[in-house]
Amino acid sequence: MKYASGPGRKAFQTLNALLLSLTCLSILLPIWMVLATSVSPNAQVIRESYVFFPSAVDLSYYRSVLQSGYFSAFLRSIAVTVAGTVASMALTLPMGYALAQKDLWGRSFFLKMVLLTMLFDGGIIPFYMVVRNLGLIDSYAALVLPVALSTYNLILVKNYMASIPPSLIDAGRIDGCGEMRILAYVILPVSTPILAAVGLFYAVTYWNTYFEVVMFINSSSKYTLQVLLRQLIFESESITSGAEQIYNNFKMTVMVMAVLPIALIYPYIQRHFVTGLMLGSLKE
Amino acid sequence: MLLDRTQVRPRGLSAPRRRTTLLLLLIPGVLWYVLFKYLPMAGIAYAFTDFGFRAKVSFVGLDNFKRLFASMDFGRVLGNTLLLSLLNMVVFFPLPILIALLLNEIRGLKARRAVQFVIYLPHFFSWVVVGGIFTMLLSPSNGLVNALLGRLGVAPVYFMASPGWFRWILVGSHVWRDMGYAAVIYIATLATIDPELYASAYVDGAGRLAQTWYVTLPCLRSTIATVLLLNLAGVLKIFEQILVMYNSAVKQVSDVLKTYEFTEGLLNGDIGYATAVGLFTSLVSFVLVVGLNQLSKHVLDESIM
Repeated sequence: MKYASGPGRKAFQTLNALLLSLTCLSILLPIWMVLATSVSPNAQVIRESYVFFPSAVDLSYYRSVLQSGYFSAFLRSIAVTVAGTVASMALTLPMGYALAQKDLWGRSFFLKMVLLTMLFDGGIIPFYMVVRNLGLIDSYAALVLPVALSTYNLILVKNYMASIPPSLIDAGRIDGCGEMRILAYVILPVSTPILAAVGLFYAVTYWNTYFEVVMFINSSSKYTLQVLLRQLIFESESITSGAEQIYNNFKMTVMVMAVLPIALIYPYIQRHFVTGLMLGSLKE
Repeated sequence: MLLDRTQVRPRGLSAPRRRTTLLLLLIPGVLWYVLFKYLPMAGIAYAFTDFGFRAKVSFVGLDNFKRLFASMDFGRVLGNTLLLSLLNMVVFFPLPILIALLLNEIRGLKARRAVQFVIYLPHFFSWVVVGGIFTMLLSPSNGLVNALLGRLGVAPVYFMASPGWFRWILVGSHVWRDMGYAAVIYIATLATIDPELYASAYVDGAGRLAQTWYVTLPCLRSTIATVLLLNLAGVLKIFEQILVMYNSAVKQVSDVLKTYEFTEGLLNGDIGYATAVGLFTSLVSFVLVVGLNQLSKHVLDESIM
């Protein structure tokens, strides 16, 4: 808490509240507009283009999106996200735990090996060539395996687990637990904030993937929702007055679907990731 | 520590068994790093070949780099990348610090939580969604911004296709999406400042502003340096945002090193040349980061890395 006195204080508080409210408003208004337009009756959208106050709630575009190819792309995105997050956590947790142990054989070598990749990389083309040589092009595995580990997330997990009091681990050891049981029954339960944070980061990355799909997937039947949404918005925008007009409520409905899973988990995880980030970013 | 580990261990795992278990836990991750990080690093060898054009690949030395530096594209692409980075540094970089400072002044816990909830949210939207929102707000035929301009008597502007505006749209959408989230690290640091520092500053006669200047900002110094370093590592690698939002009308200003590498290599099939572009980008980034770290050692008297 800061200490202050004087008449300028009240004016400052008001200005501060105003600035932060404006910031929040600038974020919320466009989101509200997308949502409101997606549920508005067609006639209103044609008349006003953008709706802030729907005259009625009309879900007919949700019905048509559910019956369209966008919904199967939505399901594909969900599948990639779930499989990817599971694979990522399965790689990140054991490695992060091992790296957090001071007595790990070759620890400083492995840490350097991991950290160097944050400073230098081979670029897009050699990365693409490795994935191609592994025969992964045009497979869903190409959307998961090559990006399954994030060094940033790994370091967060490692730092968090290194900050767990050793007495807790020793208590487990006295009870006769082996290394795997300690990981499962002692480490994981106290790591909830970081698991939630890192899990959210991975899930969001997979859900939002655009570039990897464009690079690795050739068949449009395998495109994920983000790629189809980009085509819908940007490619229909450049043809300014096409013969078949795609109405904004259809676009907005697809857009709502493209943020829906994130919007659903965000409220539950938001507080965790702040704690997780704080504890995980402590320097050793 | 309450217990001496050497006394405890014999009742649990023996030291050699613990060592083996830890290595087994480590191996899958290490294999992943070798396969998807270090094998591509070896792939920079393509940069010294004419891979992509002939059936028989031959070593061409530094020819790809000579071609790159002599190319008309190089100056434009590098210029665009640097200009965008500069805009992001000047416009974007201070905003999260400002947000954190303002948020820190809010007394009510509920209001604070509510603001945090909102400002972190857009960071989790994909560039496709963010680009979509901006495209629709800025649409010349039925966008909100042009509707407002119309009321003021201004003719519709096709922002997304205007080379003059496009850079500002990139910076603006970056601000909209990431400003709040980038403040997390500063907010976390502010929470760790010892309240005693403010108390003694107050006793010494420091007002709110002086407290911010002499207590808060010095405490943020090393965090700011770290964030600057991390930003610098990615500064030449700006990519996905542009890949999503660009169109042919703004190609002249939107082509950056990474999009150039992508187009030349994967769309035009000039693998050797594109790898050289990528290698150039990685090397310059590496030098920038290591250089800044050295500088920080001398100036701030602490190494960031």
